[in-house]
Amino acid sequence: MRRFWILLRTELLAWRHDPITALGGFIPTLFILVAFGLLFGGRLSFDIAVVNHDTGPYGAVLRQTFDEVLSPFGEPYYAVSDLAEEAAWEEYRTHHLEGVWVIPGDFSAQLEAGENPTVEMHFSNYNDDRAKNHRIYSAEIMWRFYEKAGQPAPPLALAEEYPLPQMIEWFPVISVGVALLSFMLGGMVNMFMLTMKEQVARVTLEFGLAPRSLAWVLLPKTLLALVMGLLTGTAFLGILSLWPGVWPGRYLGAVWLLAGLVILFWVPLALLVGMRARYFPGMIVTILTGLTVFFVSGGLGLVRANWDAVPWFSRVFPNIYAVDPLRDLILFHDWPVDWSSALFKLVGFAALSLAAGWGLASRQIRRPG
Amino acid sequence: MTRFLLLLYNEVKLFRTTALIHLVAILQPAVLYLLMTTILVHPTFDLNVNRPGSDLEASLLAALEQVGSPIGLPYVNPILVDWDGGPVVRQVITVEEREGVPTAVQYYGPIDSNLVKNFRNRLTAAALRLWDAELGNRAVNVEEHAWLPRDVSYNVYFGLALLPMAAFLAAALTGAALTAQEFEFRTMVEYRLAPAAPGLILGARLTRLVLSALVAAGILLVAVGLVTHAWPRELWLVALILLPLAVIAGCLGIVAGLVFRKSIPAFLVALVATFAGWILGSAFGLAASFGTGYQRISRLTPFTHAVELLFPRYFGATVGSPVVSAATLVLMAGGMIALAALAYRLRVVRQEGV
Repeated sequence: MRRFWILLRTELLAWRHDPITALGGFIPTLFILVAFGLLFGGRLSFDIAVVNHDTGPYGAVLRQTFDEVLSPFGEPYYAVSDLAEEAAWEEYRTHHLEGVWVIPGDFSAQLEAGENPTVEMHFSNYNDDRAKNHRIYSAEIMWRFYEKAGQPAPPLALAEEYPLPQMIEWFPVISVGVALLSFMLGGMVNMFMLTMKEQVARVTLEFGLAPRSLAWVLLPKTLLALVMGLLTGTAFLGILSLWPGVWPGRYLGAVWLLAGLVILFWVPLALLVGMRARYFPGMIVTILTGLTVFFVSGGLGLVRANWDAVPWFSRVFPNIYAVDPLRDLILFHDWPVDWSSALFKLVGFAALSLAAGWGLASRQIRRPG
Repeated sequence: MTRFLLLLYNEVKLFRTTALIHLVAILQPAVLYLLMTTILVHPTFDLNVNRPGSDLEASLLAALEQVGSPIGLPYVNPILVDWDGGPVVRQVITVEEREGVPTAVQYYGPIDSNLVKNFRNRLTAAALRLWDAELGNRAVNVEEHAWLPRDVSYNVYFGLALLPMAAFLAAALTGAALTAQEFEFRTMVEYRLAPAAPGLILGARLTRLVLSALVAAGILLVAVGLVTHAWPRELWLVALILLPLAVIAGCLGIVAGLVFRKSIPAFLVALVATFAGWILGSAFGLAASFGTGYQRISRLTPFTHAVELLFPRYFGATVGSPVVSAATLVLMAGGMIALAALAYRLRVVRQEGV
């Protein structure tokens, strides 16, 4: 046991000489959080103008409807600018507005007479997803307008049931994905940097000559990387408690367990990179691997509800099995329904990676020359 | 000229000292693009619908199938299910009587607000079709006037906006790595003692970085073309647009290497500048549509100008002011060349011990 403590202390001292490694899991993730916060944490309404030429009452009713119909984000689908017609077209032409609706002068008259009243919807469609939103948002507007205009009742009413008292917001969902990335990178960067330094300083040569099992060397390294990953991720969770205001509370231990198993999958791979790669390329590979895994392994959205759409290559990473249980714990303070199966899979991934990583690393260290 | 070509040849050979960095810097944007296209938004959604048992339910199903773009994709792919009222993972639509009124009820699983929005809107669009049919001439016709003749897949814009990023990343990262390692390996002394003019040495490095940038952009361009079948008009013009951007990035990498003289900080500067510039520079949509504040910041980056110049090549429509964007890119490139020359003079020519 004394041997273990000596080697752990040696690793800690090596880390103290290069404490900047602690930032490797922090800076990129903070950057991603801010970027996605700016993109998806703000207002998501479409900016449009409504040009109302109608001389009757229904044009004004339609205009008012735009402000009343709220999306699940809790804000109107459209943010309507009350611009003069010329200004509206200019803003639309320069892409400051997503669209322009034009209500003709005889709109009310046609509606009352039952003569197929028409409104024009001009919109940008260089992005088919946003064009889709214009089309399906307009249905929400017209539905409400029919109700306000006193049209006969629809043949089919609409209702919906949501299982939680409050709607899950998108940005917190993303932020938990980023937190998992922070846990993962915190461990990987630590392992890579310390191993690379030992490789450069030829300390690994001494390890190779040691008469004892190399597990005495690899265990403290892995443990230190695990602790650093957990510390980095927890510090990141501290930031999430300020923005967007989520914190696991009494489920922190469960978060550590899940995130720790994910770290244990990635740390042996970082060990192998550290044995071979040079400083600079190794850092690039480590960080870019983390970013890519974040994007393809449920970092941007809930996984369970989209499991059929999860591509095969995402399923070979443990992150995809950990991210939704982490969301349950951090966002809803609720025990994941798939806790046991997630834990089982993560233990399997970690064990496989540790066995392969340690085995290959040991072989390399022991190799003469 | 011979000396320049020899220097350029030497610069190209330096690939062997940083092979992995080159591979990552050149291929990463294309890999990122290919991965992202598998998870990026797609207008067609699978909707679980309880198997119809009545005419009304059948007509709702038919209406759902009609929800879509007249100049693009359908928005709903109905999946018929036999739902027993048990827990819902994603969503399911069923028709039931509520207070004596036939009602299309959508049951959601614990999904996020964005998914709820998408499911809700599609059901409303289908139900509105039924209502419109019943209203007949009293129904309001929303006449669509789309900007472009066809809806264009978001993958095209995303790929277009990645092109400047690909060029920038390749030039900035390799520029930073090559320059910083000249100090780490002490080969900078050779440059300082060389009888060649600093402009010649910098010019050779910059030329080689620009070539790397164009290769990276070329690979991404092919990836975008293969995925979306969208190929730019006038390929030479695309290269010309990316040229000043590559110069800016190459100079940035060189300056970072000269200032920090260590790989990691130089690498971080190049990486952060690339990703920050990309995200702030119209990465996910035209800058103007994200509000005035974003647009102002965005115009300070070369990315937005490059995106606006590339836009007509893919979409056949002009955005922004091409002359202003082209002039801005050229000015930025000129400024960065001057900055790189100044940094080279301060860090190499005037330094005694490196």
